[in-house]
Amino acid sequence: MKNKKENKLYWRRLDNSAKIFPIAAGKKYSTVFRLSVLLKEKVNVEILYEAVNKALEQYPSFRVRMKEGFFWYYLEYNPKKIIIEEEKDYPCKYIDPRKNNNYLFKITYFERKINIDIFHSLTDGNSGVMFFREIIYNYLEIVHKSELKEERRTRKIVENDTEDSYIKNYDKKAKNNSSSKKAYELKGKKIGLGGVSAIHEIIDMKALKEESKKYEATITQYLTAVLIYCMYKENYEKYKYKGNKPIKVCIPVNLKKYFPSKTMSNFFSYITLEAEIKKDNLTDFDKIIEFVKNDFNKRLKEEEIIKTMSANVKLGNNFAIKIVPLIIKKLLVRLSYIEIRKYTTITYSNIGRIGIIGKYKDYIDYFLMLIAPEPVEKIKCSSCTFENKMVFTFTSILKDNSIEKRFYKFLTDRGISVEIESNGVLDDISKEIK
Amino acid sequence: MIYPKKLSSKKGDLIFKILLFSSVLLGIILFVINKLTTPNIPWATLTNAGIIYVWITVYYSIKKNTNIAGHVMIQAIAISLLMLFIDYKLGFEKWSLNISIPIIIIIANVTMLILTIVSHKKFIRYAIYQLIIVLFSMIPVILIGEKIVENIVLSIIASSISVVNLILTLSLSAKDVKDAIIRKFHM
Repeated sequence: MKNKKENKLYWRRLDNSAKIFPIAAGKKYSTVFRLSVLLKEKVNVEILYEAVNKALEQYPSFRVRMKEGFFWYYLEYNPKKIIIEEEKDYPCKYIDPRKNNNYLFKITYFERKINIDIFHSLTDGNSGVMFFREIIYNYLEIVHKSELKEERRTRKIVENDTEDSYIKNYDKKAKNNSSSKKAYELKGKKIGLGGVSAIHEIIDMKALKEESKKYEATITQYLTAVLIYCMYKENYEKYKYKGNKPIKVCIPVNLKKYFPSKTMSNFFSYITLEAEIKKDNLTDFDKIIEFVKNDFNKRLKEEEIIKTMSANVKLGNNFAIKIVPLIIKKLLVRLSYIEIRKYTTITYSNIGRIGIIGKYKDYIDYFLMLIAPEPVEKIKCSSCTFENKMVFTFTSILKDNSIEKRFYKFLTDRGISVEIESNGVLDDISKEIK
Repeated sequence: MIYPKKLSSKKGDLIFKILLFSSVLLGIILFVINKLTTPNIPWATLTNAGIIYVWITVYYSIKKNTNIAGHVMIQAIAISLLMLFIDYKLGFEKWSLNISIPIIIIIANVTMLILTIVSHKKFIRYAIYQLIIVLFSMIPVILIGEKIVENIVLSIIASSISVVNLILTLSLSAKDVKDAIIRKFHM
């Protein structure tokens, strides 16, 4: 454990990915993602508080607050207490540091559910899961002390391992592979008043696996193809789009699979699939899935991923950008951010299986992951798997939920069992319209 | 049910927006009244400067996550600018440069000195503001050099207190100052 003096002095630079988030973040671009767990019992807030504090001792890199430097933001030790509240806001909303004792993550609960909303500057989904899992383990160990007595978990402090793995692994000579073509933007009226709809499709994993096998596709490939098909049918075709912009799907990639890294900071990149609907005549599912498989194979190569990562690192490391004072960076980024975001139609992040050991599993129903939608990327999708349940989530600011409905129908028509949960935002709106 | 029935986005900023709109409206009304009644005396400019000052104070108090030293710095700079503006609008007799700004600098430095002594352990959080106040406190010296200030006694006292303050700060917390500079100016 670090002593108080060391903690007081602890600070760290933001990693290469994290630099942009606080500059661009605000109420419209929260850059927040949420992880939730649905337990089989009601949450006890006092125990949750204890569990979070224990987890913070083990993961000190989360006990930080954001500060403004002259050129960049940075993170420093946060001596304040953590705040835990009952859930009352829309998911993935901007985390106002003043109302959260300056923490960059927010813990809320509702009945059987525990949520952690994480500002992306702090970490990525992969490390976020590690921290969240620690909270859940701690919580269950306190609640079910006797039942989990025999379960042995190696508990060690994950030191502030916050090296910037981007800097360590990028290739100075790699060429930029990013596309200069703007993406098709989903059309439709927005919910308004800052409302965010969350629709969770709880999918039977076994059936989904079998179905994707039929197309010799991975689950991510299969679901991406379904998503593109639904967007094509319920938005592109429905709104009679006459332009030539492709549907571009951004898929985040966990770089820890490609490079050795133990960092708790961000270490992800992304690939962007570019579905040229008109040019390649991608008008039925079979054609779309063939396209998705080919594009995945083309883009999910180490050298391609290095190219994307390196281009971003070079941008953050550019001397001309470095020396611009933060106040001017903020102004420039905020003015141009809408334009920057116009290169993606939708993001789909699959963080995969959330592994829980031994008897701990018995107390958990399933996990959820949500990503904040934005004014340009009006819908964002995410999924995670626990046991045989994959939860595919749509977070949206569009009033029209026909893409979500089509997605559900597509899977159920193929014999895959899907249950629906939602935050009821669109139900309320449809009632209002009636 | 995995979500509460009523979800809401916080509307706290609505009050802020209403107040901001009211201030702009008030500023325009005052300006129009000024133009219609006493166009030779530009008093509305002074009241509007006062409104802007109030908003700088409110904005930094509510929106910025600044510690007490940050507020001392903002107030020192904002009041000085307000004084200078009022002086300029009233014929620029330089009372702001001769008297007001040096007094503001003295008060800011004494406050920082007390803060440094009382909250020595928290000094790393104050260091950067302290340095900016010291730099700001050097303005009277420049004004003396340029012969803009006529009454130099207060200006010399103000800058001297600032130098003493800096020396004391460095001797008490040199490491903290160095650390604060590194983290604030890292590239």
